[in-house]
Amino acid sequence: MNRLNSILKKPNSKVLLMGNEAIARGFIEAGGGFAAAYPGTPSTEIVETLAEVASYLGIHVEWSVNEKVALESAYGASISNVRALAAMKHVGLNVAADALASIAYTGVRAGLVIVSAEDPSMWSSQNEQDNRYYGMLAYVPVIDPSDPQEAKDLTKLAFELSEKLSHPILMLPTTRVSHTRSNVILGNITPPRTKGSFIKENNRFGLVPANSRNLRDKLINKWSIIKDSFEEFEPYNRIENKEKDKIAIISSGSSYQYAREVNEEVGNYRLIKISTPYPLPKKFILKGLEDVKKVLVVEELEPVVENQLKEIINEEGLSVKVDGKSYVGYAGEMTLERARKAIREFLGLPINQTAYKKLDIKLPLRPPSFCPGCPHRGTFYALKRAVNSLMLKPIYSGDIGCYSLGINSPYDEQDIILEMGGSIGVANGLAHVSENQVPIAIIGDSTFYHAGIPGLINAVYNKSPILVLVLDNRTTAMTGEQPDPSSGITATGEETKIIDIAKVAEGIGIEKVIVFDPFNIKESTNMLKEALSYVVKERKPAVAIAKKACALNAVRIANKIHIEIPIYQVLENKCTACGICYNAFACPAIFVKDDKKAWIEPSLCTGCGVCAETCPYDAIKPIKVIDKRWDSVWQ
Amino acid sequence: MAMKSKLNIVISGVGGQGIVTLARIIGEAAVKNDVKVLIAETHGLSQRGGSVEVHVRLGNVYAPLVPKGEADVLLSMELIETARNIDYLNTNGLVISSDVILRPPIPGVKIPKKDEIIKEFEKNNIRYYLVPTKELAEKIGNYQSENMILLGSLYKYSEINKFIDMDSIKDSIKTMRNPEINLKAFELGSNL
Ligand code: SF4
Ligand code: SF4
Repeated sequence: MNRLNSILKKPNSKVLLMGNEAIARGFIEAGGGFAAAYPGTPSTEIVETLAEVASYLGIHVEWSVNEKVALESAYGASISNVRALAAMKHVGLNVAADALASIAYTGVRAGLVIVSAEDPSMWSSQNEQDNRYYGMLAYVPVIDPSDPQEAKDLTKLAFELSEKLSHPILMLPTTRVSHTRSNVILGNITPPRTKGSFIKENNRFGLVPANSRNLRDKLINKWSIIKDSFEEFEPYNRIENKEKDKIAIISSGSSYQYAREVNEEVGNYRLIKISTPYPLPKKFILKGLEDVKKVLVVEELEPVVENQLKEIINEEGLSVKVDGKSYVGYAGEMTLERARKAIREFLGLPINQTAYKKLDIKLPLRPPSFCPGCPHRGTFYALKRAVNSLMLKPIYSGDIGCYSLGINSPYDEQDIILEMGGSIGVANGLAHVSENQVPIAIIGDSTFYHAGIPGLINAVYNKSPILVLVLDNRTTAMTGEQPDPSSGITATGEETKIIDIAKVAEGIGIEKVIVFDPFNIKESTNMLKEALSYVVKERKPAVAIAKKACALNAVRIANKIHIEIPIYQVLENKCTACGICYNAFACPAIFVKDDKKAWIEPSLCTGCGVCAETCPYDAIKPIKVIDKRWDSVWQ
Repeated sequence: MAMKSKLNIVISGVGGQGIVTLARIIGEAAVKNDVKVLIAETHGLSQRGGSVEVHVRLGNVYAPLVPKGEADVLLSMELIETARNIDYLNTNGLVISSDVILRPPIPGVKIPKKDEIIKEFEKNNIRYYLVPTKELAEKIGNYQSENMILLGSLYKYSEINKFIDMDSIKDSIKTMRNPEINLKAFELGSNL
């Protein structure tokens, strides 16, 4: 169970690894010395795993402040001759794209692998962009593993290839690789190279126009060498059932596993398996297409392989009919149903609808909600009260984090959610054009450091009357409580400086900065009222900071230092069944009884005590005396 | 007798009930038995008290997700989630579910009663076992062991025992944080 154990096991051990852990092991097998990431589902466990073994291996592992910094840092390590990895979720590559697009010009020294975990179907993302296009845009070859074993093997290979070609490599596992656990056979570990030195070569690393023009020409020449190096990619690119002719299926990345399973069901046609969707290896593909009249491309999202294939067939003047998206479709991740339907239709086979059971019963939805004891609940509750009592017309400009859940009832306090850090920039625009509305940007600590600060500087500089509400729970909560600049510790658990958000705001020139405790509803409401009134009257930006630890962290600390959680209960005789605690405040630990009175489930309550404040009848009380140290676990 | 070549299990429940751990124990035991296993999880927002599904496939399998209508077993930690995921079951599929019902924290939400759900199982000829996981967990004094109780019942009632031997499961459980209690829970669930 212990990650350290399976990750560092001996070569040839058979272990159960999640795709992301397998990538981490691949990095270790490649002798990587530097890994940086910004957490983001489904990529987080790569660097989380490496952070756990960093001190044992003597490697540098960090949570960078954002993906751009992560990639730049990894690049810095690589050009100093240390193999380096930068990991992020797919939309993180948008943030790092500025660096990526130039790195191909300079090339790298030690292997540099950028892992961007894709999220078709948007299980936890705002879009499902296909990052293979970044490979095309930036002249960076793309590798997409199809399962955890390949994720490990290809990570190691990617480092070797990157170093051989002096070129970055982009690896794009999807959710179904990154978050699938499967059998993995481990390989040899190369002792890490953790120190190097930067040798100056400024006509290569200094991208002024004169150098860039030169490097651009070199890059175009280099690209043909890169293309050739993808021609020999056995067994990750391979032709299955070679003896079959006329019809072929081509599949890339995680889609291959679906295509293979369906191919077995329909009678094992020729199946061309690809792990290098860009650039598509031409000679290998032509070999695969020998004696083939029609081919179906099974891939997720955009027709990246399909379009390259059409180009190859065109160039060669072959008469092979290529189909893909017309059968497979664009949106969402691959499923067996979808692969089956596409392949059977393509082959002209009947599609039998699988019978399945359906119950005749109405089921309530169960969307995710703030955890019991989550400080965001108090913040949203107080914010709404403040806005209502001032009779303002708010626009809640939201952001990416657990607090995005404030979009749901009963809060309804996230009107816009775009991308990381977007809340403040969008509020800026709203502020200068909206009449009689007050833009309130709502952003978490990690997101604030990530991309919120430039927006705040802009608000001061351009005199935007907005309230920026920072929900500082001292961690990157949504992805599983990774430490951030508000936590006081690094990825590897070392103590470090806390970057004080209030001081940042003051330093930027915000004249109204308030810090409040969201567990104190009355005080929070009053302070938010004060900040909002300032924005309205002075027509200047203000910053309000809600400071309280993430409930998951608080409970973890309490358990660790053996502080008993002070569970709350509802006093039957005092409760009037008004419903405020379960309808307006809506802690998931509070249930309604048949008589509409409230009842607190002891196994869920985390003892935050905020429900007791919201109850107008003083009907909620802690069961026991509260430990004196209780408040300290929430700091 | 020819052995079944694969087993599809869909595990459902509510974020925080220990479903990922449950699946991981199965996975580690499968690796010990040299049986191919695929466990597909969807992390992220689903951790915050929402519906969670984990797909576990054993044997001759490649794709990580179980299609609707093709699960041999629906294993569930919560009864509303069992009902929600019933469409995964194949026509001869088996439900092994906790009898616990958790109310979603939505203002004014209406939830079905246990009897209504069971009546629907009967009406649709669904083979099911209900396990009083919460009651049993209280008996051994640990709320957090409901998942291992359910794993015990999975081992007892389903064909997973044709893919994985009991000792491998117990070995995996021994690597958990509270091995004694969790082993006890597993045994309780497998001796109902
Ligand atoms: S004290 Fe009240 S609000 Fe806090 S977790 Fe317990 S029931 Fe929920
Ligand atoms: S807020 Fe107080 S009186 Fe109203 S339902 Fe909750 S416990 Fe009862």
